[in-house]
Amino acid sequence: MTVTDYSDATRATGDAIIELVGVDKFFGNFQALKDINMRVGQQEVVVVIGPSGGGKSTLIRCINRLEKHDAGRLVVDGIELSDDVRNIQEVRRETGMVFQQFNLFPHLTVLDNVTLAPRQVRKLPKKDAEALAMQTLTRVKIPEQARKYPGQLSGGQQQRVAIARALAMQPKVMLFDEPTSALDPEMIKEVLDVMVELGRGGMTMVVVTHEMGFARAVANRVVFMAEGEIVEVGTPEHFFTDPQEVRTKLFLSQIL
Amino acid sequence: MTVEAPVFEEAPPQVEPARGPMDWARKNLFNNWYNSLLTLALAALVIWALVALLRGLLSAEYEIIRANLRLFMIGEFPADQLWRPWAATYCFAVMLGMVGGSIAAGARDRASEAGLPYVRTTLRQVVIRFWPILALIAVILSFTTTVTPTLLTIGALVVGLGSYYLGRVLPRAVRRWTWLIAVVLIAASYISLAGFGGVGWQGWGGLQLNLFLTFAGLLVAFPFGLLLAMGRRSSLPVIRTISVGYIELVRGVPLITVLIAGAFAIGFIIPRDIRPGFVTRMLIAIIAFEAAYIAEVVRGGLQAVPRGQVEAAQAVGLAPWKTMRLIVLPQALRATIPAMVGQFISLFKDTTLVAVLGITELLEATFVVNSQTAYLGKGLFVVTLSFAALIFWVGCYTMSRESRRLERKLGVGER
Repeated sequence: MTVTDYSDATRATGDAIIELVGVDKFFGNFQALKDINMRVGQQEVVVVIGPSGGGKSTLIRCINRLEKHDAGRLVVDGIELSDDVRNIQEVRRETGMVFQQFNLFPHLTVLDNVTLAPRQVRKLPKKDAEALAMQTLTRVKIPEQARKYPGQLSGGQQQRVAIARALAMQPKVMLFDEPTSALDPEMIKEVLDVMVELGRGGMTMVVVTHEMGFARAVANRVVFMAEGEIVEVGTPEHFFTDPQEVRTKLFLSQIL
Repeated sequence: MTVEAPVFEEAPPQVEPARGPMDWARKNLFNNWYNSLLTLALAALVIWALVALLRGLLSAEYEIIRANLRLFMIGEFPADQLWRPWAATYCFAVMLGMVGGSIAAGARDRASEAGLPYVRTTLRQVVIRFWPILALIAVILSFTTTVTPTLLTIGALVVGLGSYYLGRVLPRAVRRWTWLIAVVLIAASYISLAGFGGVGWQGWGGLQLNLFLTFAGLLVAFPFGLLLAMGRRSSLPVIRTISVGYIELVRGVPLITVLIAGAFAIGFIIPRDIRPGFVTRMLIAIIAFEAAYIAEVVRGGLQAVPRGQVEAAQAVGLAPWKTMRLIVLPQALRATIPAMVGQFISLFKDTTLVAVLGITELLEATFVVNSQTAYLGKGLFVVTLSFAALIFWVGCYTMSRESRRLERKLGVGER
């Protein structure tokens, strides 16, 4: 097998901003991640696919330390994740995350959801934080919903608010954990459109999703994970036309 | 598109139309001989009980209540100092009115910003909402011998209503400080009772003491309960063990045990010259007891906050204590309001237990008046106890109605 830039997870396009070296993760006796080696370059969009329980979510949750990795090195924007709380806070400030279940704060208005972190963490004055929030809400195309509560919005709108909330911290990396899996079919597009624009705008993104249309539109690389391992890596085109591994072919035949 | 009506082979079963109460009674109460017998027997029993109750109420001697009303309400507060409880009442009327008004205004503003409809509460709705309390006030006033208390009560209601409207029209910038105004007014009510030659809580009694022990007990116990609940979830084993140990110890013991232990243990431990009086000891015991229960209530609220909320807060870089303060606690405490009201109701009734140490709270007062020479041996316990029961029932019933109302309100639209 010839090694190209795209079939090697450790070769980022450009300078690496996320670096995983020999990362292991255990839940009790169950090994969720097995010796993961991967680099993500600046402005790169990486889509992670694979069967459920294969370690995709665990992988990106380790990147902002929602899960603690048990072995190996994990470096984000030059900061190594360790037990040092300051490092963890630093990394979390640089990475935005979007969850499958949105996880908006139901007791706060949309505007307060988005301004919370800039005000509390970045210490922006209220006025600046609100201006910034309106800017990001405009970016996800729902500035008119700013005064509403999350419970008043549709799923697609809520997920776009969640994206705005993450963007308001002006992160260097955005992590997406199955952002469209909890949405009704007719709302998936509005969220994907925002994500596509984000990727084209040069945001570094790691996206766990099964939306191969999204992968084709903006992904530089697709990573196929199963049973805690990276099984196959390549361009979206590679996965559409020429998947190599048996597990990859089987999985793709189920989702395409 | 046309839908063909289903064709029944047989006629659908006929539902017999209801033919009024007589028919219902025949079907349900008199459908065979032993049911008829039971119905008649029970009806006789109910009628007899109602007649007895009515006769008792009509023929009872209410002089005992009339003569001791002040004792029931405020204990042995000096008669020449009566302006003090009234001043405190007015402070509370202003406080409740302003807080209620500013809460209503806040809800109105939030609703208009979020584009939700806001229905203004009318005075009529308030009267319907609090009719048991209003009725109770009327009953109590019917036992007064002069017109002054009635006038003063009407004055307090008017002042409360005025404060409500004041609270509603206050500009936003001022409204943010309503809590401070409330604190100042509560302090003012205490000073008007105890300050400048007044009587501190050591000398309080009657309903006033029950209310004081309930509010002060819960208010002071709340922060401790919060700490215990968070301690119980702490990742530090020492803190967790201490919290769990304390909560389980206190919850495994009846309140009366804690009260007696508080009264005597504090007496033994603390040197005589700084030893607090009995009421203070009771208050400390109540706080210690309630903290454990509040801790469990709050723990339930904390568990109701989904894990994803904490993760989302962590993901945007909020520090742990800010996550707790800004994300978890507001949601958890909102979820605990109904249970907290339940705690309030049970503590209000439990404050009568301080009577075991000879403190004349309301229930004890209604008991001891029966040994006054004028009423000794007249068997008026039923009258005085019913009076106390009515007060407790109205208080608890109102709280539980309000709690159900809150539950409904919090269930809709907010989440």
